[in-house]
Order: sequence, then C-alpha cells, then structure tokens
Amino acid sequence: MSDPTPTSADDGVTAARRLALNEDWAATIVGLLLLALVLTGLLPGWLVP
Amino acid sequence: MAEQTDNRHIGADPNRATATDAAELQQGGPAPLPLQQGHHAATTADRGDRWTPGPALAGVAVVVALAALTRFLEQTVPAAAKGTAFAGIAAAVEFPVYAILLGLLGNLVLTRLGLRDRLAGGFRTEFFIKTGLVLLGASINFAIVLTAAGPAILQALVLISVVFGFTWWLGGRLGLDDRLRALLSSAVSICGISAAIAAAGAVQAKREQLAYTASLVVVFALPSIFLLPAIANRLGLSQAVAGAWIGGNIDTTAAVSAAGALAGEQALQLATIVKTTQNALLGVVAVALTAYFAVKVERSATSGPSTTSARPSAAQLWARFPKFVLGFLTASVIGTLYVATVGSTAAKPLIATVNDLRTLFLILAFVSIGLEFRVAPLREAGWRPVGVFAGATAVNLLVGLLLATLLFSGFSA
Repeated sequence: MSDPTPTSADDGVTAARRLALNEDWAATIVGLLLLALVLTGLLPGWLVP
Repeated sequence: MAEQTDNRHIGADPNRATATDAAELQQGGPAPLPLQQGHHAATTADRGDRWTPGPALAGVAVVVALAALTRFLEQTVPAAAKGTAFAGIAAAVEFPVYAILLGLLGNLVLTRLGLRDRLAGGFRTEFFIKTGLVLLGASINFAIVLTAAGPAILQALVLISVVFGFTWWLGGRLGLDDRLRALLSSAVSICGISAAIAAAGAVQAKREQLAYTASLVVVFALPSIFLLPAIANRLGLSQAVAGAWIGGNIDTTAAVSAAGALAGEQALQLATIVKTTQNALLGVVAVALTAYFAVKVERSATSGPSTTSARPSAAQLWARFPKFVLGFLTASVIGTLYVATVGSTAAKPLIATVNDLRTLFLILAFVSIGLEFRVAPLREAGWRPVGVFAGATAVNLLVGLLLATLLFSGFSA
C-alpha cells in the first residue's frame, strides 16, 4: 500500500463504524418499542400523523 | 474543501465525534483529498472543534419539517388537482417522490445559506430507514420471510460474489488503490454506505476514501429509485421479481425502500427481504476482507508477517452483523403471532397504525437522502472510481435481473 501510516484516518473510520453499530441498535430498540406501544394500545392511531 | 476537512475533529474523543463524522461520511463532505496516492491525514491534534448537539437537533428539525410538508402534499395535492389536467400526474406521484425532491430543495437552500454542513449531523438516514424497516417487519407474515429466505440467500450469495469480484477486478485494471477497491466493491455488491463503513474498518481505509464511496453510493442510488420501478413496469415484471431485482441492485437500503414503495406493496416487502439478506451477509464479507488484507495485501506491502490476526472469529462476525436485521425478524414474528392470536379483523387497525409509523420513518429517511446529496467530491476525484462504480452497477443490473427472474418468477406466499 502506498500509505503505511493510516493513523487518524482510522480514527474517523472507527468512529463512523461505531456510529453505524449504535444506530443499528437504536433503530432496533426504537422500532420494537413503537411496535409494542401500538400493539398494547398505548399509542393510538390518531396520534400518528 | 481541504481546509474544511482539516478543521474537523475526528478522533480525540470518538464518542463525541461520531455523529458529525458519520454525517460527513454519508454526505461525502470531506472527500476531495487525493484518492489514488498516499495521503497522510491530519492528526487528531490538528482538529480543534467538537461536535455539539445544537446544530444536529436543528438538522433533525429541518428533516421533520420537510417530512411534515411531504405528508401534507401527499394528502392534499391529489384532491386539489382533481378535475384539472394534472389530476393523473398528481395521483401517480407518491410520498417518496415528494420527500426526495423536498430534501433536494432543502439541500439547495441550506447550501446557499451556508448552513448545510453545520446541520448535517441531524440528517440521520441510516437510523430513520432502519427504524422504518423494523416497523415494516411487523406487517410481513413470517411465513413470507421463511418462503423468500431460500431464494433471497441464493440470490445474495451469487450477486455479491459476481459483483464484488467484477468490481475488484475492474478497479485493479484501472489502477485504483486496494483499499478503495475494497470499499467500492463492498458498497456496490452488498448494501451501500453500511457496507462501505464495515469494509473501511476491515481494510483500514482512509477517511476520505470512505466519504468518497458514500457520495458515489448516493449519486447512483438517487436516479435508481425512479428508474428501476419504471423499467420493471415497462418490462412487465411481477411484483415479486421487481422487488427482488430492486432489493438486489440498489445499493443503499433507504433507496431500496423508496424504489420498492414506488413499485408496490409486495415489491416493497420482497425488496426489503432481499436487501435485509444482503445486509445480514455483510459481516461475513467484512471478516473475509479483514483476513484477506491481513494475509495478502498488508504482507505483500511490508514484505513481512502481518501483526493483524488473519483468523476470523465468531466475535468478529457478531461485531459486524447489522443488528437491525434482528429487529426486523423479531417484528415479523411479533406481528405474525399477534395476528394469529387476536385475529386479523381485530389486528388490522393496529397493524395499519404500525404501517403509518413505518411510512413516517421512511419519509424522514427519504428527506435525509435528498439533504445528503452531493456531487462536488465526485468531480474532484476523477473519472476512474466513477467508471468502476458505473461498470459494476451495469453488471449488477443485468445479473440481478437474471437471478430475480430465475428465483422469484413463481414466487407466492
């Protein structure tokens, strides 16, 4: 490879990867939480625009 | 642009830097550094500013406002145009079109005002689309997921292998850096930006290479959203084949949902199942890339043994597995069990509410796609990576159409 020291570039990539993983979990939790709220009747249809 | 890049904080405190960084990477903000020659990125000490939640929240507010406007136009325009010459067009234009166009318009206005880059932390396409897909899972009977799983896995395996291999080969022929080749190959063959991020970690790519690849994904995905459903319609493809083709071809998951929504409900479901299958295989490809770069590329570059372990582990696979796939499957199981328990008549209004929520999150994601769109980095990077991506997309389209027709022609759930 032409660049043997990809130092801080890796930090940016690592940060992006960490965020992608966090967003994966966040989306899973928010999606399932909303589903549970609707199915248990706590989030009525009229509240959803 | 280079000055702008050097002023960004990227590493001193990753937990605080992540939102801005990924927003930049998704929109291709700091891309215009040389991609095919060695570049020593600025050290973290050079980067003074830190991410603050204020501008990101303002960005989210912009997305929500444009989503509300999308909803308003979607509901009022067809009625308002009734009896006029535009009635047919107004009835045919669906929410993904309004959302993306309003996102692009917002992009233009914010860029002119010099606010776009500051607000970009709030344009969270990945979060919105994945939440929407988890909710979509609730409306898909788990039997359909199981029935489609076989052909979807087969299509994904063949398509990823062929398209990844072709992109890697073409990138080599055109003299691209190995890391950029890995990023482009992963993005075009698996699932766009998410795959590029995973591959970037696997091959230790440069930050600007990742940002550039993300820009390329969005630039190619945007026209595909409109072209693929139109071509599928012109070719007379069934909903299942159209969905499988769209899901296997369009790189980024958000754009797959937009195109699927335009093609029809069953097409959306099949496109989502096929795309989710590709997402699930992301971890396997990322681990394989890690091993390949550790064993072959790094070793040949340094002429010595690599310090990185080349043996992939279950922990690595799990770390790189996209977790929202589990949410999608769980929602499908919950929705199926719920309908079976209370009966379809009682469940119908509640599932309809879940679908409204899903549409809401898809609109937020589509608005974000428009807000993230950026062409400047592509102009500055030269034609070779664009040529590789375009060639790979063409191969993806043809092989994908063949596989979708072979595997999903007789599909019924």
